[in-house]
Amino acid sequence: MRNAVLVLLCLWLVTGGAFIPQVQGARAEELKIAGQFGLVYAPLMVAKARGIFERYGLKPVWKEYGSGGAVREALISGEVDVGFMGIPPFLIGWDKGCDWKIACGFVIVPIGLVTNDPNIKSLKDFKPEDKIAVPSPGSIQHILLAMAAEKELGSPTALDNNIVAMAHPDGAAALISKKGIKAHFTTPPYLFEELSQPGFHLIIDEVTIFGHPFNFNVGVASQRFYDRRPAVYSSFVNAIGEAMAWINNNKEAAAKLLAPEFGLTPAKTLEYLNWEGMNYTTAPYGLMGFGEFMAQAGYIKRAPASLEEIAFDNVLAIVGSRAGGPSEIEQIQY
Amino acid sequence: MVKEKEGIIHRKKTLNQVLFILGALIGWELLAWTGWFPPLLFPKMSQVFIHLWTELSGGELLQRVVFSLYIIGWGLGLAVVTAALVTTGAMLSPLFSDWVQALMAVLHPLPGIAVLPIIILWLGTGSRSIVAVIWFSSIWPLIANLHTGLRSVPTTQIEVGRNLGLKGIALVRSILLPGAFPYILTGLRVGWARAWQASVAAEMVFGASGGEGGLGWFIYKKRFFMEIPSVFGGMIIIILIGLLVERLCFEAVEVRTVRRWGMTSE
Repeated sequence: MRNAVLVLLCLWLVTGGAFIPQVQGARAEELKIAGQFGLVYAPLMVAKARGIFERYGLKPVWKEYGSGGAVREALISGEVDVGFMGIPPFLIGWDKGCDWKIACGFVIVPIGLVTNDPNIKSLKDFKPEDKIAVPSPGSIQHILLAMAAEKELGSPTALDNNIVAMAHPDGAAALISKKGIKAHFTTPPYLFEELSQPGFHLIIDEVTIFGHPFNFNVGVASQRFYDRRPAVYSSFVNAIGEAMAWINNNKEAAAKLLAPEFGLTPAKTLEYLNWEGMNYTTAPYGLMGFGEFMAQAGYIKRAPASLEEIAFDNVLAIVGSRAGGPSEIEQIQY
Repeated sequence: MVKEKEGIIHRKKTLNQVLFILGALIGWELLAWTGWFPPLLFPKMSQVFIHLWTELSGGELLQRVVFSLYIIGWGLGLAVVTAALVTTGAMLSPLFSDWVQALMAVLHPLPGIAVLPIIILWLGTGSRSIVAVIWFSSIWPLIANLHTGLRSVPTTQIEVGRNLGLKGIALVRSILLPGAFPYILTGLRVGWARAWQASVAAEMVFGASGGEGGLGWFIYKKRFFMEIPSVFGGMIIIILIGLLVERLCFEAVEVRTVRRWGMTSE
């Protein structure tokens, strides 16, 4: 008897506990959503906590990934229906033939290159052995670094040999403990935590590099999903919008709700939510700006010729198409 | 006579294996041609080889291969030296031997990659950490095999050696090492495999700085730029290096030693 139990226990351990009966709801309107870590994804956490998707008749399944590249793989393999990633990972997929488009803008946040070395004042001060952490090659942070390198050092790949790939929390830990890396290209709350360390400073930020604010992430869905499940698609877009608006209108309540997710106090979370440059919005900003640079630098084969190639109708409708020259909204897409 | 026959059997076996691999590659190509799977997820084999060729002629891939071999050489070399020292200690002192066995029981099941977070904290990121992970991954199978091998040499053989007047280093060289050689070879094989796994895995977890990354970093980077044929290309290179080292190093040594001494049948 004891042996039998032991054998079963071993089998169970080996199979990773697969014998536990899985509870699965077979509802038709299940929506699998891929997010990542950080303050950027606060709308997803709010939507989850407040049951916003449920209000639209959806049954959301939440999945978290460590980088836009991983979200992209989850979307391609059909593991999730919709996901959030930076514009560069989205464009790399688009370039390689993924049949997908942007469903909504998703949050504008300050992004910056922070260093723990007071002697590094600009990109020119990086020595070959000074390492810069970015979440992954091809991530928005890597592309921003390449853009800055092209402007300041003359070549987009000038700092490619300096990069190490680290998820945001690991990068922040490494920078703060001064182990191995000299700089970290990161986003809130890691950006804010690093900047509040004594002696740490910002080398360059996203607006200096790009010229104006842009969506840090975009909501991405496949054409197939858009064509086959239009009602779910539009519920998704509206639910995300509702979560955004709730954060903007209830910053204090949002801070209280989000604080445990980040292991911060509600006061600190509120400070971060109100940090200059944070903008919880689904409006499209700078959707086209990365394409041209990425094509020139060889990260993709060609840049999208028009917004129609990379955005769904609801996004196109927001941007519009002004007769007699581009409107302000059209201009900020570049 | 026997040798010749063995050679024919051996060649036939190799031919069979090569034919099987060729068949599998052609099957892959045909399957990709049917278009049942999106080419993004399942690229054509021909495409993989074309990409492999471009990467090789571009020079980057070769640089990565050299770096991988260099870093594995360091990690594995250090592991072999440490293992030799530890085993010598264990052979000399029963107390130390108990300690080593306890340590082995605790640490051997731990995959090298699992200690990576700690190694990053202690040594930072970069090649030193990768060497440390390789060292940690390959040292336990090396010690285990060395230790078992040396202890499995029959006492009668050692006594015979002593009767012939062998002592100290001469005894170790003529009796103990040859006696333990099958185990040593197995230890090296397992250590080599583990070293590869560790180096690729470590580079995929935190990458390395681009200029000094090996094949793991190559595959990792290609993954993020969605160049799936090149990801397969990187894998093929790792397989080829594995095959080459197995055939040119381990088998050659095995034929010249263990098999010539009649310690193993095949």
